[in-house]
Amino acid sequence: MKKSVIALSALFLVYSCTKTVQLNLNTTASQLVIQGTVSDTSGPYQVLISQSVGFYDNSIYPSVSGASVTIADSTTGITDQLTETSPGVYSTHTIVGHPGDTYLLTAQVNGKTYTASSTMPQPVPLDSVTFDNQSIKNTIRAVSNFQDPVQYTNYYSFTQYVNGKDLQEVHTFEDRLSNGRYIREKMDNDTSDIKNGDTVQLFLIGIDYNVYTFLSEAENIAYNNDNLVAPATPTSNITGGCLGYFSAQTVSSKKGIVKF
Amino acid sequence: MRQKKHLTALLILLAPLEIWAQTSSSYTVSGTVKDKSSGETMAGASVGLLEKPGIGVTTNSYGFYSLTVPQGHYHLIVSYSSYALDTVDLVLDKNMVQNVSLSSGRGQMQEVVVSGARKNNITKTLPGVQRLTAEEIRNVPVVFGERDILKTIQLLPGIESAGDGKSGFYVRGGGSDQNLILLDEATVYNASHVLGFFSVFNSDALKDITVYKGGMPASYGGRLSSVEDITMRDGNNQKYVVSGGIGLIASRLNVEGPIVRDKGSFFISARRTYADAFLGLSSDTTIKGSKLYFYDVNAKANYIFDEHNKIYLSAYFGNDELKLPYKFGNNFGNVTTTLRWNHIFNDKLFSNTSLIYSNFYYNIAILNSSNNISIQSNVTDAHLKEDLNYYISSRSKLDIGVDVIHHILSPGVGTTTASSSYNSLALQKKYAIESALYASHDWTLSRDWKLTYGVRLTTFTLTGPGDFYTYDNSGNAKDTMHYNEGAVIKTYVNPEPRFAATYQLDAVSSIKFSYTRNVQNIHLLGNTTSSLPNSLYIPSSNNVKPEIADQFATGYYLNFHHNMYELSSEVYYKALENQIDYKDGAELLGNEQIESQLQYGKGRAYGWENFVKKKYGKLTGWLSYTLSRTERKIPGINQDRYYPAVQDETHNLAVVGMYQYNKKWTFSATFVYNTGNATTWPSGKFPVNGAPVYIYSQRDGYRTPAYNRLDLGATLLAKKTAKFESSWTFSIYNAYDRWNPYAILFQKDPNNNLKTQALQTTLFGIVPSVTYNFKF
Repeated sequence: MKKSVIALSALFLVYSCTKTVQLNLNTTASQLVIQGTVSDTSGPYQVLISQSVGFYDNSIYPSVSGASVTIADSTTGITDQLTETSPGVYSTHTIVGHPGDTYLLTAQVNGKTYTASSTMPQPVPLDSVTFDNQSIKNTIRAVSNFQDPVQYTNYYSFTQYVNGKDLQEVHTFEDRLSNGRYIREKMDNDTSDIKNGDTVQLFLIGIDYNVYTFLSEAENIAYNNDNLVAPATPTSNITGGCLGYFSAQTVSSKKGIVKF
Repeated sequence: MRQKKHLTALLILLAPLEIWAQTSSSYTVSGTVKDKSSGETMAGASVGLLEKPGIGVTTNSYGFYSLTVPQGHYHLIVSYSSYALDTVDLVLDKNMVQNVSLSSGRGQMQEVVVSGARKNNITKTLPGVQRLTAEEIRNVPVVFGERDILKTIQLLPGIESAGDGKSGFYVRGGGSDQNLILLDEATVYNASHVLGFFSVFNSDALKDITVYKGGMPASYGGRLSSVEDITMRDGNNQKYVVSGGIGLIASRLNVEGPIVRDKGSFFISARRTYADAFLGLSSDTTIKGSKLYFYDVNAKANYIFDEHNKIYLSAYFGNDELKLPYKFGNNFGNVTTTLRWNHIFNDKLFSNTSLIYSNFYYNIAILNSSNNISIQSNVTDAHLKEDLNYYISSRSKLDIGVDVIHHILSPGVGTTTASSSYNSLALQKKYAIESALYASHDWTLSRDWKLTYGVRLTTFTLTGPGDFYTYDNSGNAKDTMHYNEGAVIKTYVNPEPRFAATYQLDAVSSIKFSYTRNVQNIHLLGNTTSSLPNSLYIPSSNNVKPEIADQFATGYYLNFHHNMYELSSEVYYKALENQIDYKDGAELLGNEQIESQLQYGKGRAYGWENFVKKKYGKLTGWLSYTLSRTERKIPGINQDRYYPAVQDETHNLAVVGMYQYNKKWTFSATFVYNTGNATTWPSGKFPVNGAPVYIYSQRDGYRTPAYNRLDLGATLLAKKTAKFESSWTFSIYNAYDRWNPYAILFQKDPNNNLKTQALQTTLFGIVPSVTYNFKF
């Protein structure tokens, strides 16, 4: 809902004008970024470790090698020591994601230890992908359609691939105001992203509360930072003083071809 | 501190003595001051005696005055800015009623004669008070050619605009919800139309505005930082007048006249914008179906029953509509009604009883066949107020009153259709009773010293029905209590002492001091994570404590060059307690446990305000400069240190000039400059699912570019006869097309995936406009 409301600003655009400005921004010391997932689809699962960069730097984040990373299923007691398969990318071997299980991430990087825990929610299947070209002019948007289960409090995030390419966006949804509803959630993207004839694969990802908190804050910071009274770095669910998140999640996906 | 206590105690002891010290040979002259041509009463006019230069009174809000002096032969002098002074020969050997009518305008000759009496700004006790009449702001240029009293006060020292397109203003470092905006005594919760371009106050319908930045008299309360007391015009009780204006985006029409000549009058004023007419011309279907307009209506009537009884009925309603097809709809507005009864018990005791209704509603709708939801929220106040003015002697006046407000805050009822992704919701209504008892004494100690002191005792009670929560430190509800209708959840009692003193240095200069405590129990939660123009009001409760402000102010006031110029220089220090802030990622929309999203801190604000005004002559206008600092301290933010608040502006300058070139042409110009606001910008970025997300190291650690703007205006008096008057107003807003930032968005560069950029939005470049005004 928060995003569709941004449209209000569109009324302003009748009068307003925009330009890019070069601001004198400080750069904080580079910070460690950990992003790891375990899902109910088959592995291996990956943990990515990198470093933050300055605002005006290229969005290429230096990878961090030589970390010792484990993921444990605290419900079954299985621990998996991850292997660095390419610089900064750590992969699992044996561990399998089960809804309801709690997973623990431990990463030792340059003598410091970072830990996180995440509980995989019960899966929610994605029903279908449809498309909308009405609500924003000249923009085709994918719509994810699914039934929110009434018996659980659910948190979701989405990813979309267009013709096999990840759009690399953050999009979240919670059922706080929608529990038990049939959900039709529009995916935001740039005007140029989706065209007639494209194949769009949509992933509905079930996440836990702490991951949702991180991702929804990240979403606001990424797309809506001009409307925040006091923007702040998203709160990570990993302890030890780093950025990023660790999520045990469920994944359901559907494909659709755009035809208008 | 102890000494001050003693002084206060002494004053309270002495006051009754003063009351009984009247000798039997004293008599009272009382009456009402009016405008000769329209019959409207004049508040704030000076009434004095030529033979007793040290004493005098100003008329109250209803034009009433009362003076008690020993038997004798006097000349009563009545004056009011931009009106010709009137002198009445008075043989005072009994109590008598003397009504006075003043004619507007003044000749060059009078300037000198009048100058002796025109020094209200010097002698009045309260520092930080400014009064502007609708007439005075007539030629100040403003956006889209609509003159606007609430925009004009933002050109005075200590009052900052929140920025282009943003509603609200900040007074001496206070928040935009800390201003008590009153229209004929009714609280106006949202004083702005269409996202802040216009205020809800149609200047045609207004008589004047009095702004209290500090040193509020005890009769006002409920907000921390300022009072904007706006009075509507009563209407001409001599003849019928139709006036209006036709502008590029808005038109106005006013009708006024006598109900019974000299006994009663009415005034009706209406205005509507038609900016959306242009939207219809757009080829873009989304823009074409859009709505963007507002209208507002002011109406007032008064009737004099007899010498002792007069009633007034005033009403306002306004509505704003915004709509984007398939996407979004928003409408909001205020409704206020005030019924007042002036009763003059005797020549020394004036009473006003007011019954006030005030409502602010705010509706948002997501207009989308599949994801529709509409949320209605509102605030409703029923308010009873009784004020007594007791004119004890020529040196002493006592104001006493009682105030009871019943608040109903309805944070939101959401309705959806079956196909919507959202559930219907109904958030609990909150009920509260806010009452106050006050006493305030004006006392002329000697020719040099004047005091105004008093206290306001505020009680705020939150009542059921409803469920009320208590939270642990991380904001999780740990306990829920259900209360039945009328049950008391929490009561706060707060005494608010008020003190102001003037020491007159000589005939043209004075020094003033004041101390004020203010308490606020209704709080506005503004925009946080959502880009909604949120207007969510919450009461003080078991979790939210009343906001408290203590302010000290002192200033120097000087009139020079035969009172043609007025100068003031004031410093203030304000300490704020229990200020509300939001936790990171706070979710305010549709949240029953909204109080769990809040955190609290302290604030402090101090500054130096300077003001020079040229009051008469071909060239009039003013210069205002403020040097100030506003800071907040909130646990967990910026290492628990004081940091600049959003409204912190180091320098703030406004220059307003109006030049009467000849009988036909008047030119005007306004220039404003202020330091950019404190803001929070990123200091780095990191990837989340491949998307760049920004790192913030410090809240409000950056400054937006300085704001500056020049507006120009010209008025051509096209025709002026006894029967018909017409004029053209031309204005250019932002004459040198300065692109002041409205918002800065940090985003992925759409042309280069590897880069991020800062995109600045400017709301208005140069905006010319023209308005045709008429009157017959």
